[in-house]
Amino acid sequence: MNECILVVDDDPEIVNAIAITLEREGWQVRRAYDGLQALEACLDPAVKLILIDVMMPKLDGLSALLRIRERRNLPVIVLSAKSEDTDKILGLSMGADDYVTKPYNPQELIARVRSQLRRYTSLGDVNAERRQGLIVNGRLSYDPAGRILRADGDEVKLTPTETKIVDLLIRHPGQVFPAEEIYRRVWNEDAYLCENTVMVHIRRIREKIELNPKEPDYIKVVWGIGYKMEPHG
Amino acid sequence: MDTKWNRMDNDWIEEVQRMLGPEPAPAEAGKALSPAAKRHWSWVRVKGTAGLLAFFLGMTLALSALGALGNRIAWERDPSPRWEWDWQETDAFRDEVSHYLREFLTIGAGGAVDFYDGAYYWDGGYNSAVVVEQEAIRTWWGFGEAAEAVTVDRGTLESVLPAEQEKELEKEPDEAYRNEKNVLYFIETAEGETYTNVAEGKAFFLTRTLLDYNFYLTFQDGKVSIIKNGKGLDVYGNGLYNDESRWFVPGYDNFPVSEDLKDVTVYMAVRQTPERYYGVDYKNGGTYSSSAFYRLARQVEESESFYKTQGLLLFIAMWCLVLHVLLRRSVESVRQRLARWTGKYLWTEVRFLLAAAGLLWAFLPGLLNRDIIYELLYRYDYGGDGGYSFAAWGLSVLRFATVNVPALVALYWLFWLGRNERRRWPPERRRSLLRGFFRALRARDLKRPVEKRLSRNHAVGGAALVMVNIAGLANICNLIYRVFFEYNYIHIDEVALFIQLPLAILEVPTIDFFHKFLDSWRLPRDIAALADQVEAVRAGNLDKPLRLPEDADLRQTAESLNDIQAGMKAALEEQTRSERMKVELVSNVSHDLKTPLTSILSYAELLRQEENLPPAAADYAKIIDQKAQRLKTMVEDIFEISRAAADQLPVHLEQLDLAKLLRQTLAELDGPIQKSGLAFKVELPQEPVMITADGRRLYRVFQNLIDNALRYALEGSRVYLSLKTAEGTAEASVRNTSRTELPEGVDFTARFVRGDASRTDGGSGLGLSIAKSFTEACGGSFRVETVADLFTAAVTFPMEQEGQET
Repeated sequence: MNECILVVDDDPEIVNAIAITLEREGWQVRRAYDGLQALEACLDPAVKLILIDVMMPKLDGLSALLRIRERRNLPVIVLSAKSEDTDKILGLSMGADDYVTKPYNPQELIARVRSQLRRYTSLGDVNAERRQGLIVNGRLSYDPAGRILRADGDEVKLTPTETKIVDLLIRHPGQVFPAEEIYRRVWNEDAYLCENTVMVHIRRIREKIELNPKEPDYIKVVWGIGYKMEPHG
Repeated sequence: MDTKWNRMDNDWIEEVQRMLGPEPAPAEAGKALSPAAKRHWSWVRVKGTAGLLAFFLGMTLALSALGALGNRIAWERDPSPRWEWDWQETDAFRDEVSHYLREFLTIGAGGAVDFYDGAYYWDGGYNSAVVVEQEAIRTWWGFGEAAEAVTVDRGTLESVLPAEQEKELEKEPDEAYRNEKNVLYFIETAEGETYTNVAEGKAFFLTRTLLDYNFYLTFQDGKVSIIKNGKGLDVYGNGLYNDESRWFVPGYDNFPVSEDLKDVTVYMAVRQTPERYYGVDYKNGGTYSSSAFYRLARQVEESESFYKTQGLLLFIAMWCLVLHVLLRRSVESVRQRLARWTGKYLWTEVRFLLAAAGLLWAFLPGLLNRDIIYELLYRYDYGGDGGYSFAAWGLSVLRFATVNVPALVALYWLFWLGRNERRRWPPERRRSLLRGFFRALRARDLKRPVEKRLSRNHAVGGAALVMVNIAGLANICNLIYRVFFEYNYIHIDEVALFIQLPLAILEVPTIDFFHKFLDSWRLPRDIAALADQVEAVRAGNLDKPLRLPEDADLRQTAESLNDIQAGMKAALEEQTRSERMKVELVSNVSHDLKTPLTSILSYAELLRQEENLPPAAADYAKIIDQKAQRLKTMVEDIFEISRAAADQLPVHLEQLDLAKLLRQTLAELDGPIQKSGLAFKVELPQEPVMITADGRRLYRVFQNLIDNALRYALEGSRVYLSLKTAEGTAEASVRNTSRTELPEGVDFTARFVRGDASRTDGGSGLGLSIAKSFTEACGGSFRVETVADLFTAAVTFPMEQEGQET
C-alpha cells in the first residue's frame, strides 16, 4: 500500500497527528495548510484520497472541493468541526464522499479512509463495474441471487437470519420496517415484544458492515416507527 | 348544569316523592347507613312532611276563615247586632214588631191596611232600610212636616174613591192577618170592635199560656209594654226618643201617640220559633208568604252557626300551626326540597301566569262590580253626613278585597312558594324560557363578527331614531295646523301648550342628531377593523398596519395601535437577532473549542499507542484521553442546549409510537443496561401510543434518562420505566432509587446540576437539562420529582386523536 493521501487542515498539529496515524497504517501522506495549497497538491497523480478541513484561510474546504472535482476524480473525505446535520448534508451534496466530524476517532477515520480507497483503487470505479441484478448502496453491494453482501468489495459473513434481515432491508432502501414486520417476514411468525430480538441481530449486522457501529450510516433506527436501510449515492 | 334536567320528564312523580323526603343523609355517612340511622332519617322525613302538611292545613284554614269573616263583615250579611244569637233581640225583630204594631194600630184606628205597604220592606239587615222604614212610620204617625201629604198618599178613607171604599169595606180590615202563624193579635178599637186571630180572645194574651209564644206586646192607653219570657222589658228608657232608643213605638215623651189611637188596645204575641206559612192575598190576588220572622230567625241561626264554624276552623288552624312550629326543624329540609323542585320545574313564565291568573280571579269580580268601585271611590259621601268616614271606606276596601277568598288563599300559597324558593334556591338556577331564549340568542350573537353586531345595533337605533323623528315632525305639523288653521275654532289648549310645544322644541336637536347619526354609519366598520387588527396583533401579525381614513373618529386610536405594533415588531426582531447571535456565538465557541480538542485527543491517542512509554506516562495519557473525551461531550451538549434555549433547535416533527420508541431505546441501550446490573422493570402498553414529536430528539431524551439511571441508581436496585395514558395524554416515566442521598430543593433540570455536588462522576451535568429542553422543543412537558431517595423523571405528551393519522 503506497497510495498517497493528501491531508489538508489549517492547524499543522492536526495535520501532523492525522499524518502520523495514516503513516502508521502504511500510507504516504502529503500535507497542505489551506485550500490553494490543496488545489496544487491534488494535481500529483500519486494522491489517491483527500482529507480536507472546511474552515481554512485563503480558500475554504468546500470551495476547494468543488475545484478539485473539476480536475480529478478521487475520493474526498471532509473533516470538519461543524457537526450539524445541515453541515453534513451541505458537504456531501458538494461532492464529498464522506464526512467526519472533529474531534474524530482515529480508528474510525482509518476505517473510512480504507473503505474509500478500496472502492476507488482496488475495485476501481464501482459504478463502471455494476453487474446485472446487483444492488449497490454506497459501500455495500448485494447480490440477491447468491444472497451475498459485500462491503467495500469484501464479502460479509452473515448468519442465515442476518442474511434475511439484510435481504429485506437492502431490497427496499429507505423504506421503514417496524420490528414486528421484520420479525414476521424473517422468522415467519407473529410476535410482539420482538424489539430486542430484532435489535440484537441488527447490532451484529452493524458491527459487520458499519465503519462506526455506534453511529451507523446504513441500518438506521427510525425512532418510534422502525428500521430502515439508508440509501447512499 | 344539572344533567338531570335533560332526562325524560315522565318520572316527575318520583321527583315529587323525593322532594317530599328529607335531605339525603350527610355525605360522610356514606351509602351504607346503619338500620338505626335509616330509621332516624325516615322518622325525620315523616315529621317534616307532617309538619309541612300541618302548616298548609293551618294556614289554609286560618286564611279561609279570616277571609270568610272579613267578607261577612264587609258585606254586612248579619242581622244587627252581630253575635246576638237570640233573634228576638235583633234590631230587625224590633222593627218588624213595630211594623206589626203600626198595622194593628191602623186597623184599630179604622183604616184598611195594605200589607205590602210600599214604604216598608225588610231587606235582610240593611241599616239603611230601617232608616227608610222609620222615616215612613214617623210621617204616618203625624210626626214631622210631611205628615199630611203622606197620609193622603197612603190613602186615607177620605181620599179613597167611594166605589173603592165600598169594595174595601166589604172585607174585614184584618183579613190579611187572619192566617198569620207567627204573630197572634187582639185589637180592640175605640168603638169596642175587636179583631183577632186567636180563639180564646183577649184572655189568652192576659194569661200568656201558650208555650210556643214567648213575646207579648200590649198597647194600651197610648203606651207599649212588652213581656218577654215572662219578664217585662224597659221600652221607653228615659222616656225620650233619640238615636239610641231601641223600640220605635209611640209613647215617648217627644213621640206622643195621635189622638185617634189613644183608645185603641192591641195585644200581640210572637212565636218563639217562627214558622213558614203561605196564604192567599184576596185583595190583590195571588199567593203570599209571610216569613219575615221566619227568615229573620233562620238568618240569626245561620249567623250563629257561621261564626261558630269559623271559630272552630280557626281553633283547628291554630293547633295545626302549633304543630308546625314544634316540627319546624324537620320541616326545613322538606322546604328545601320544595324550593329545589319549584326552582327546577316552575318556570318564571309559569309563575307570572299563575300570579296573573290568581290576581284576576281574586279581584276581577270586584273590579267589574260597579257598586263596589263606586263605594270604594265615593264612600265618604255615603251615610248622608257628608263627612269622610274612614271606617266606612275601610269597610268598602275589605269588601273589595274579600270578593273571592279562595283566590286569595291560592295567591298566598303562590307567594309563599316564591318566598320559600327565594330563600333556599339561588335565583340564577331558576328556570326561565325567556331567559334561556335570550341567553341562547346572546351566545349566538357573540359568535358573530364585531362589525355585524355593531351594524345591527346601529340599525336598530337608527330605526328608532327615524320613528322618533317621524313622530316629532308629525307633532310639529299638528301644532302648526292647530295654531294657524284651527285657531278660530279651538283655542290653544293645555295639550298644545305643555306637551306638543316642548316636544316640538326638543325635536330640533333630534333632527341634528339624526344628521350625525347618518354620518356615523362608518363607525361600526372602523371599530370592527380596529378589533380585527387587535386580534391580528395578538396573533402575531406584526407586518400590516391599520390605515383608517384621515377624518375617521378612530384614526388616532388606529395610529396608536400601529405604533404599538411597530414597537412590538422592533422588539421582537431585536430579540430574535440577539438570540441568533447568541446561538452563533455558542456555535463559534464550540467550533473553536473543538479544534484544540481534536489535537489533544489525537495526540493523546498517539501517546497511548507509543510503546516505549513508562507506565506512569501511559496512565497520564489515558487520563488525558478520558478527560478530553468528557470535554468533547460537554462541548457538544452545551451547543445543543444553547440552541434549544434559543428555540433554534431544528426539530423534525412526525407522528410516532411512543411505546415503540421506548422499546427501541431499550433495545439500543441493551448492552449498557445488561452491564449495569440494574433490574429494569418495563411496563409499556401493547397498543400504539401515537404522539407528535421528533424521534431522534426524543430518543436522546430517553437515552439521557436511562443513562442517568444507569449512572446514579443504587447498585442492584430496580429501575422502573412505564408509559401510561390518561385523558388524552401519554406519560412516560423513569423511576430509580438514587445511590447517594438526593439533596432537597434542587432543580435537577437546571444546567450543570447533579445529585452529587462533587462533580467527580463522568456526566456533563447537562443530561436532564437536555432532556427537558428537547422534550419541550418537541411540544411535551418534562418534570422531575424526588421523594427521599426515589428519583422520578416524567415526560408527558398530548396524544394524537385516532383517525387523524394520514
